[in-house]
Amino acid sequence: MITGSIFDIKEFAVHDGPGIRTTVFLKGCPLRCAWCHNPEGWSSEPQVISSSAGDRTVGQAVRADDLAELLNGQAPILKANEGGVTFSGGEPLMQGRFVVEVINRLEGVHVLLDTSGYADGREFCLVVEHCDLVHFDLKVMDPVLHQRLTGQDNAPILGNLHRLADLGVPYVIRVPLVPGITDTDANLAAIAEALQDLPGLIRVDLLTYNRAAGGKYRGMGMTFKPTWDETETVNANTAHFTDAGLKVSVHGLRMTEGH
Amino acid sequence: MNSHLDKLRQSIRNGDHKRWRRGAELDILSECEREGLSWVQRSARLTRRMCEAEQVVIEPGERIVFTRTVQDVPGLYRPADWKRLTQGHKLHELGPISNICADWGMVLEQGLLGRRAIAETTRETRASDCEAVEFLDCAVDTIDAVLALADRYARAAREIGRSDVAAVLERVPAHRPRSFHEALQFLRLCHAVLWMSGHYHCGLGRFDQYMWPYLEADLKSGRLDEPGAEALLAEFFISLNKDSDLYPGVQQGDNGQSLMLGGIRRDGTCGVNPLTYMALRVALDVSMIDPKINLRVTPETDVELLALAAKLTQRGLGFPQYSNDAVVIPGLVKAGYDLEDARDYTVAACWEYIIPGKGMEVVNIGAVSLPAAVHKGIVEGLAKGEQFDRILEHVADDIAAQVKTLADAYRQLLLPPAPYYSVFMEGPLETGRDLSLGLGYNNHGIHGAASSSAADALAAVQKMVFEQKQVPRTDLLDALDSNYQGFESLQRELRGHAPKVGNNDDSVDTLLRWLFDQLADSCQSYGDNGRGGRLRPGSGSAMYYVWLAQGHQGMPEPVVGATADGRLQGEFFGANLAPSPRTKVRGPISVLQSYSKLDYTRICNGGPITIELADSVFRDAEAIRRVAMLIRTFAQLGCQQLQLNTLNVDTLQDAKRHPERHKNLIVRVWGWSGYFCELAPEYQDQIVERHMYALGEPTVAVQVKEISRYDSKKHRSCTDHQPSDLDHIRQPDGRHQGQ
Repeated sequence: MITGSIFDIKEFAVHDGPGIRTTVFLKGCPLRCAWCHNPEGWSSEPQVISSSAGDRTVGQAVRADDLAELLNGQAPILKANEGGVTFSGGEPLMQGRFVVEVINRLEGVHVLLDTSGYADGREFCLVVEHCDLVHFDLKVMDPVLHQRLTGQDNAPILGNLHRLADLGVPYVIRVPLVPGITDTDANLAAIAEALQDLPGLIRVDLLTYNRAAGGKYRGMGMTFKPTWDETETVNANTAHFTDAGLKVSVHGLRMTEGH
Repeated sequence: MNSHLDKLRQSIRNGDHKRWRRGAELDILSECEREGLSWVQRSARLTRRMCEAEQVVIEPGERIVFTRTVQDVPGLYRPADWKRLTQGHKLHELGPISNICADWGMVLEQGLLGRRAIAETTRETRASDCEAVEFLDCAVDTIDAVLALADRYARAAREIGRSDVAAVLERVPAHRPRSFHEALQFLRLCHAVLWMSGHYHCGLGRFDQYMWPYLEADLKSGRLDEPGAEALLAEFFISLNKDSDLYPGVQQGDNGQSLMLGGIRRDGTCGVNPLTYMALRVALDVSMIDPKINLRVTPETDVELLALAAKLTQRGLGFPQYSNDAVVIPGLVKAGYDLEDARDYTVAACWEYIIPGKGMEVVNIGAVSLPAAVHKGIVEGLAKGEQFDRILEHVADDIAAQVKTLADAYRQLLLPPAPYYSVFMEGPLETGRDLSLGLGYNNHGIHGAASSSAADALAAVQKMVFEQKQVPRTDLLDALDSNYQGFESLQRELRGHAPKVGNNDDSVDTLLRWLFDQLADSCQSYGDNGRGGRLRPGSGSAMYYVWLAQGHQGMPEPVVGATADGRLQGEFFGANLAPSPRTKVRGPISVLQSYSKLDYTRICNGGPITIELADSVFRDAEAIRRVAMLIRTFAQLGCQQLQLNTLNVDTLQDAKRHPERHKNLIVRVWGWSGYFCELAPEYQDQIVERHMYALGEPTVAVQVKEISRYDSKKHRSCTDHQPSDLDHIRQPDGRHQGQ
């Protein structure tokens, strides 16, 4: 039986897709985004978080059968309320086979994949084909800047974006807006340009930066080092997208969301 | 809300109306003694003198009048006489009849003069029955006192040129209202006089049902349009917040001004009407702690109505509280209520189900401490080296013993006569028997309190001691005895890795259901409660989530120390039906699934599932619709009652530091909402903690096979039991003693 590593399951995640959903957060991520508010999602290994409430281990191995059984126990409720299951992280594609094993055991539940898009192309297609909806992140279009801010090249991400458009699975593009970093007009314009004429795109969600992003770092023995001014208002300039004929909306970025 | 209403609301929050209050207590004792009045006569005299002492207050622009100016309700007997009178008896709380609900619809329909005529007729037919005659004369006297008060208001209004107010009070409460405005004024005055007569926790019943005919007629005839009706309703809601600081309760805000909306009618058809929606809209607009809104739902309730209710939930007022007709009504029928009456249920003060005008029930005679019963059973069973089944037997015995103790004490219950309240009930005026002698339903309610912690403790012992054998019996006994001092890793293990209610885990949910089944069995086998009623078990906790953990002066319920779920001595329990504090859960779906396993037809006294939501959940209309779906899911899963609370932890913490900045911050406490800054610190802390865990760090609670981190050999040290200081909670104001 295949085993996965997860760091949370959250029910009634009302901001992570349609209807009433249960979100599974998978542990392990290839990116190291400077603004990440879920640093416990980085490493695949269990870790200890310390807080005033004591130490807590995050990250547990779970069998696909057990996870599917738990989710199937909620399936009638999720289905009756226009919802389903969301796989987020971390980066769920780092455990693509596990995610597929779980999906294969689900009893007709709507599945949403919430991904950074950074994955091997074949692995990406394998998982996406099993999903009903994808939330796909686009952070920074400039490859050099992307490398610097996330620790990885964005070429695989852009490659997967085109694979996604070809697969015919509907998707939402999510852009985290970090003041002075990702919210520049140049970056937003470049994202809009990349999305123009892509089939299957439902809309673009601009997610405004959450000042509580650094909250978990200290408890994990890490330091949060924002290179931007956290008090600055983000530039949620939707015009780049509307001008390109794309649907766009602006939301707050919350602690429970991935990436 | 228009500027006039906004000003009115602010003025009441600022307490401007308190300038009319007089502190000096009325002396009615001397005249009662001089005239040698009986108890029922004294009660009527109290209502009369309180009404007479009221000074007329008509504020500019105010359309629904009455402002209480006499602050205190005087006693009816000297302490020594009171002691003689009540010796050998049990008084419920402060004594006077409380926590029931009038049949407001019936009294509106008949007018006080209609009620008076019935009393007079009965007086003639029962002329030879001295007791009946005395009671009916008293009831009539209270009616006349209220009518005289209304008359003084009407005349004063004429004098200052407020013919609008005068015209209303010349009509009501003497006669059936001709308009929505008159109906609201009727209710305001008669309800206020209940409190002035020493009663408290006076419910408002099925407001949208009994008020709708008056509003409907106004709307149809064009006398009133919708905005006009909403403004009147807002003024009525605001008026309920005027005198509430004078109302006795465990904490300020605990006043039982509960109002029920929605649900099916006596004939089984859907009773949702335009006033159901309007009352929700207006409560949202007014956003004050009174009235406390309840909404009856079914698995089929329109999501649009639920979304409107969810917007009220979003406001963070802690209401509406939701009741599921599909579960409550069959439960009441099973408990012996007529089907039509069961369909007409409302709540008394908090959540306890009661039939308006027909219930002289005492819905809260005390709490069975489920954690204490479980603790006793565990300690006894482990010490004797018994098996788990034997532990369960001990627990069942203790639950039965606790039920018997509570119920036996109430066999000596003495309910003071209540001639004024009797006017609003079905039967007293028709038969000549005071309300205190009983009505159609006379049951006693018992809370099954702190159930999640109790079930968690049982499950922990079953899994860790018996199934996995990883915790030696003596270790657990020593750990419980020493409040886990020297057993910290065992405590972490019990807290972190034993099954917990709220995760849809059958191994513990089955025990939860078993506990309530034992409670129901014990109540059932107890039989008659001494007043021609039975015992009604429920799942509420009231303030017992604090008292059973920390003790309370004069409380007969047992206090328990450290418990086998890893809870330390003195730590609060969960309020009502909620996972234990400090328990991490995945979210509301699993919580509802856990609680859907209870047999609610056996525990019809009520007690809500309590779920905390972060305010960030309510981002937009779509998110609010999903909260509405969650409420519908609660009903579809077959749960009984639900309370959704919305808060922001940062706001609460800031309010603790800077109360002056958060005067209007409202929170749900147990079955009622109050202003956060007016609560005692321990209640504030419990609410902050509750919300921190609700929104807390993410957690994984899937069934995961893993190796225990508790090594019993390392933990043999044992320290002495160290009791902590028990914080005593402010007692209810005792000024009503002696009625």
